[in-house]
Amino acid sequence: MALQCLPLRSALRCRPIPSLRRNLTRFNSTTPSPIDVAALLSKPTWSVTSLLTAASPSTSTITSAITSKQLHHLLRLSALPPPASEAEVSGLLASLSQHLYFVNEIQSVDTTAVEPLQGLRDETKQGEKESELGLEALKEALGKEKVVGRYHRRIRRVRDGVKGKGREGVEEEMGDVMDAAARNGSHMQKYATARRSAWEAWTGQKRSSGKEEMCGAGFSVMH
Amino acid sequence: MNVPGVRFRPLKALPALLNRSRATPRPCYVSKWLQSRGLQVSTAPPANAVPLRKHLKDEAKRKKADAKGLGGPRRDGAVTARLQKWELTVGIEVHAELNTACKLFSSATAASGDITAVPNSNVAAFDAALPGSQPQFQVATLLPALRAAIALGCDVQRKSGWDRKHYFHWDQPNGYQITQYYQPFAKDGTLKLTAEDGVPREDLLGAHSLSIGIKQIQMEQDTAKTSHHPPSNYHIDYNRSGHPLIEIITLPHIHSPQTAAAVVRKLQGLLKAIDACTTGMELGGLRADVNVSVRQRGTTGSLSYSGVAGLGQRTEIKNLSSFKAVEDAIVAERDRQISVLEAGGAIAGETRGWSLGSTETKRLRGKEGEVDYRYMPDADLPPLFIGNDLIDHLRSSLPELPDATMERVQREYGLTEKDARTIVALDNGERLEFMEATEELLQPRLPTNDSLELGRMAGNWVLHEIGGFLTANSLSWSDLKMYPIDLADIIAYLARGEITSRTAKQLLEYANDGSTSRGIGDLIHDLGLQRRPLSDDEYTELARTIMNENPGMVAAIKEKGQKGKIMWFVGQMMRRGEEETIEPEKAKEVVERILAD
Repeated sequence: MALQCLPLRSALRCRPIPSLRRNLTRFNSTTPSPIDVAALLSKPTWSVTSLLTAASPSTSTITSAITSKQLHHLLRLSALPPPASEAEVSGLLASLSQHLYFVNEIQSVDTTAVEPLQGLRDETKQGEKESELGLEALKEALGKEKVVGRYHRRIRRVRDGVKGKGREGVEEEMGDVMDAAARNGSHMQKYATARRSAWEAWTGQKRSSGKEEMCGAGFSVMH
Repeated sequence: MNVPGVRFRPLKALPALLNRSRATPRPCYVSKWLQSRGLQVSTAPPANAVPLRKHLKDEAKRKKADAKGLGGPRRDGAVTARLQKWELTVGIEVHAELNTACKLFSSATAASGDITAVPNSNVAAFDAALPGSQPQFQVATLLPALRAAIALGCDVQRKSGWDRKHYFHWDQPNGYQITQYYQPFAKDGTLKLTAEDGVPREDLLGAHSLSIGIKQIQMEQDTAKTSHHPPSNYHIDYNRSGHPLIEIITLPHIHSPQTAAAVVRKLQGLLKAIDACTTGMELGGLRADVNVSVRQRGTTGSLSYSGVAGLGQRTEIKNLSSFKAVEDAIVAERDRQISVLEAGGAIAGETRGWSLGSTETKRLRGKEGEVDYRYMPDADLPPLFIGNDLIDHLRSSLPELPDATMERVQREYGLTEKDARTIVALDNGERLEFMEATEELLQPRLPTNDSLELGRMAGNWVLHEIGGFLTANSLSWSDLKMYPIDLADIIAYLARGEITSRTAKQLLEYANDGSTSRGIGDLIHDLGLQRRPLSDDEYTELARTIMNENPGMVAAIKEKGQKGKIMWFVGQMMRRGEEETIEPEKAKEVVERILAD
């Protein structure tokens, strides 16, 4: 049964752990040489600190250092304020390069033909079959449609004007959500408002037109 | 022979051409547009409202006259020479708001196209991105999306995923939009267009139809609605945040601006027919982004998109909100790109914008400012598995697509292609329903006519007569009070010759009065509207009256034997007598009899 061994295993296959030797009978004919377990365990072969910094500059696998321009781009993408001083820039660059070293070490694991994990769910065939949306799952929605016309038959969704209800056990409070958000003294209760000048001041950048431009997040009322 | 009083006049048309009025928009369309935006129509619609077909014909005549005018041939020559050298390629991305009860990831009401909804009243916790709120996929949104995919002939994927597209904007409270970037739910469809859909002849290349490939269809969330209040205030309405959208991406198989507009128009019609997207482009329910590139004919560019190779550098034009805007923006961008390339420059891959009435697209964002969306699978949502039984059920119960309906209407009811197209598109199919019901009721009433004739009669009455009646009284189809059986009776009586056509039109008005519940037969009987055939004496009397008034003509026939003038008397009798009561054969007989003695 244990004929196909991984190389690591073969070293330990015929050697029961010495401390338990008293209670075990030998199952094979090779004479075990005593292992000094304490010695084995005293020298770590790997430490998590190897992920944090380069052991020596020559073993560093990061090819490019991050430029200041890239740093600014990343800060803009994350809507974070630009660094205030040179010291802050170099501090950020140093910590970023440490992060990238860590990521590179992680990426050295061979992941060919392995799908990245996207979420924890039941990935068995049975689980997927259960989460499949078929006629049963959509029966209620199909029931809310009617066929209009006798000669020229068309489908129309019935609009009964019933406000959407939350899923069972959870109340979706419409309207209250917006009240809570606008409670800080806005005189325009109905709308969330935004002011262009406030963003410009905050990001320190002139906002150019275009929907995709980065602006401050959030819909809270600004004065 | 010198005929006094007749002179040759110079061409009267010339002054008319000179002070030809600019095209005025059709009154009821403009007022509807204004109404949909909550603005008041200041004056009542003018009394001289023009029927649609007449308006279209006048417009076509005016355009033709314009084209024949100054500079027409010269301008066309320059443009076509350019187009012979450069080939245009266009790809379109259409975003359509789905017709659902709830939003995509929350159970808040999805008020699509509802302009009366109070702002920020249909906002659930996830739509406002309150911390800790989670998305929950609403399965009912699958129905219109799957129907759209099936109608476009796509392969529906059993497994599809949800991805986050990150960017910051005030109308995107989460900081990311949930879309299907890596695994869309439908791929590889087609859309067929013909010349009647608006495809120019050069694009069809002799074939009957043009097939545009659909790369994929994906479901995604809509953003909130922003309205600008100058100078620097923006009002944000989160009712629309999280509303389900489908994005339909076509392959770059389109080679002219008219085809592009035709594709968008056809998609809108298709989605409306299957009840997937009921709000049109004017109400913001359908938006189009186009990608435009040019290359010299005979050469191949270096870029490719999704299997179509040899393309030039493309630019994207965003936020086009009408069919005309699509066409005009593509023309402007094509011309700009050709000018740049002919001057020796290179096209930058940028995003541009178009506003109504501009002559050139405007740069919105260059490549160096290109947003990095950092697409990543959404960890809060499980993948979407769609069962085959659902797809089969929806495929079998899919409503008739507009192409099939038009073809059926032409085949079974004998309507012309133009009439078929009009009646299928009008009033959400209600007019077609009315016409079909009328035709069925006509069959027992007029058993000797074949069904194509009956269909043609019914179609003519529903489209033109009832249409004219509605326009003349500024009514809409929903104000119509008559039933198909009333119309069938009217047509039957008319076809049998028991009433005159003027009476028929009168009966149309009576039937729509709402004040009477009598049937048409009773109405005719009670009001004595039957056509009364004239007796011999009445014919004779009328003939004699006319002859006494025209002794010269009588003399011409009797003495000079000009038999042709008998028909002139018949014509006079028909004109003089009560409308349609004079039968020409009988009248001729009577006139000949009188003249003989």
